[in-house]
Amino acid sequence: MINMALDDSIREMFAMIELEIRRLRHDRTEIYTRAVQPILWLGVFGTIMGRVNAIPTGGLPYIDYITPGVLLQSTIFVSVFYGLTIVWERETGILKRLLVAPTSIYATVIGRSIASGVRAVVQALIIFPVAILLGVKFIANPFYIAAAFLILFLVSGGFAAISILVASIMKTRERFMGLGQALIMPLFFASNALYPIDMMPSALQLFAVLNPLTYAVDAIRGLMISGELGNILVDVLAILVFDMVVFALASLSFRKILE
Amino acid sequence: MTAAIDVRGLFKLYNGKIRALDGVDLRVEATRVFAFLGPNGSGKTTLMRILTTQIRPTSGQASIFGLDAVRNGQEIRRIIGYVPQETSVWLDISGYENLLVYSKIYGVPAGMRQKRIQDALQSMGIEEMADRMVKSYSGGMVRRLEIACALLVGPKILFLDEPTIGLDPSARKAVWENLISFKKEYGTTVFFNTHYMDEADLYSDEIAIINKGSIVKSGTASELKQSLRSEIIQVYPDGRIDGQVLKSIRDLAFVRGAINNNSHLEIVVEDSETKLPLILDVLRNEGVSLKRICTAKPTLDDVFLKYAGAIRFKGKGEDPAEKALQA
Repeated sequence: MINMALDDSIREMFAMIELEIRRLRHDRTEIYTRAVQPILWLGVFGTIMGRVNAIPTGGLPYIDYITPGVLLQSTIFVSVFYGLTIVWERETGILKRLLVAPTSIYATVIGRSIASGVRAVVQALIIFPVAILLGVKFIANPFYIAAAFLILFLVSGGFAAISILVASIMKTRERFMGLGQALIMPLFFASNALYPIDMMPSALQLFAVLNPLTYAVDAIRGLMISGELGNILVDVLAILVFDMVVFALASLSFRKILE
Repeated sequence: MTAAIDVRGLFKLYNGKIRALDGVDLRVEATRVFAFLGPNGSGKTTLMRILTTQIRPTSGQASIFGLDAVRNGQEIRRIIGYVPQETSVWLDISGYENLLVYSKIYGVPAGMRQKRIQDALQSMGIEEMADRMVKSYSGGMVRRLEIACALLVGPKILFLDEPTIGLDPSARKAVWENLISFKKEYGTTVFFNTHYMDEADLYSDEIAIINKGSIVKSGTASELKQSLRSEIIQVYPDGRIDGQVLKSIRDLAFVRGAINNNSHLEIVVEDSETKLPLILDVLRNEGVSLKRICTAKPTLDDVFLKYAGAIRFKGKGEDPAEKALQA
């Protein structure tokens, strides 16, 4: 019985991922337009701030320093706005139908989150070669790069779950849009994406320590750019704990979305 | 034999006070097509959502083929097909891809998927559109695709919430013709909510009317129509009708009412076919010569308005039968 339920759940998750890949195959416009902003962060902000030399980057060129954060920001944008899809599916009958399918609600929520993670990784894959063209020097180890993308995927899935949670509470497009915007920039600024945490005021430092983005930036920077992997275990652990907590919360709230 | 749907004493309160269902009892036999009628906000959708395990009743029992809607939700979800009122397919992929994704969500075994998808497409007559993006479909095609998705599980019962809402008459006809021929082939029980009386009349075996959370009337379409027991005979005389004629008509025991409507007489009886000759005898005895006679049988609209409507009659805003009875 439990085995069957597990099979059902895994099948449901794969179906959700397949759905997302099929949608992407038909229409990639969103992925391209969403790539504009991160490319500006790297090409304009990164290049200009790099000339100032005001931020201690541990010897890295500034544009290289911020690349992990910018990649993460772009994937998190995709994830956070994934909730809009859920809001749309709520307004239509799709969610009702998914709730009447013989699968668990957890599988649906986790499946959707993972599917969003896949979408987010595709987003990062568009920006990655642009970063190379802009002169960012990545560590030439395919395993490290793959591991970095895996972390991007895990974090994006978690943020998609937050987005589903927010969609369950907000329920309408307008309210969701407001909160989505209000969520991303503070997370980005209160992390080590653009500057080391030591440079922040102490209140913000506390927030940065609780910010899952901080751990993700640290891990990806280590894997892709600096090669410093001293904290990698803590980083991965923090991300996994974050994922589990938000998957659970999103699953619990999801049934309420239709009420 | 186990009923397809068995509902007993079902209550549903929203927020502890809004009474959506107020003691519903309902039995639907397997392989029937059952139409559930009711005005907006009467509890139709609430009942369907309880039967499809989306929400729990406040009290009472509901079962689908003997499975309890609260305790056996997971088992029920394996044997039902459900099409909500709103769009329930993804518009940015093709019809075939929708079917493929849904077949995986529903757990159709890999070896059977292609066959089931082809059968579903064929049942709803949309094979040719399968590879087109759903965005480019007309409303009727979208609805047929949605029903096709619900057929993938090989459901024992199909729940359709307002299946043809917003469709033009030819699209409605296409949806129903495909559904009915599917139903004939597979013997699936169909339970649908609707506002369209003509669909209930044409396609259902049985009807229940719900109003303010309770079922006010049920039976076959013809039983319901007969239950009104008021058919109207209109008699157009060649000339005027005097009071004496009207009186002798009213004196007939089976006449439930009669009025002189200047140009014609309106006579209300239970059954116009057997009573018309008797009325003609009376008119002939009174020496009335006739230009024209017509009879009007009640429609399902009349049934609906009588049992569930606040407004008495469509059109001119009054019910001639009622008026005739009062006269």
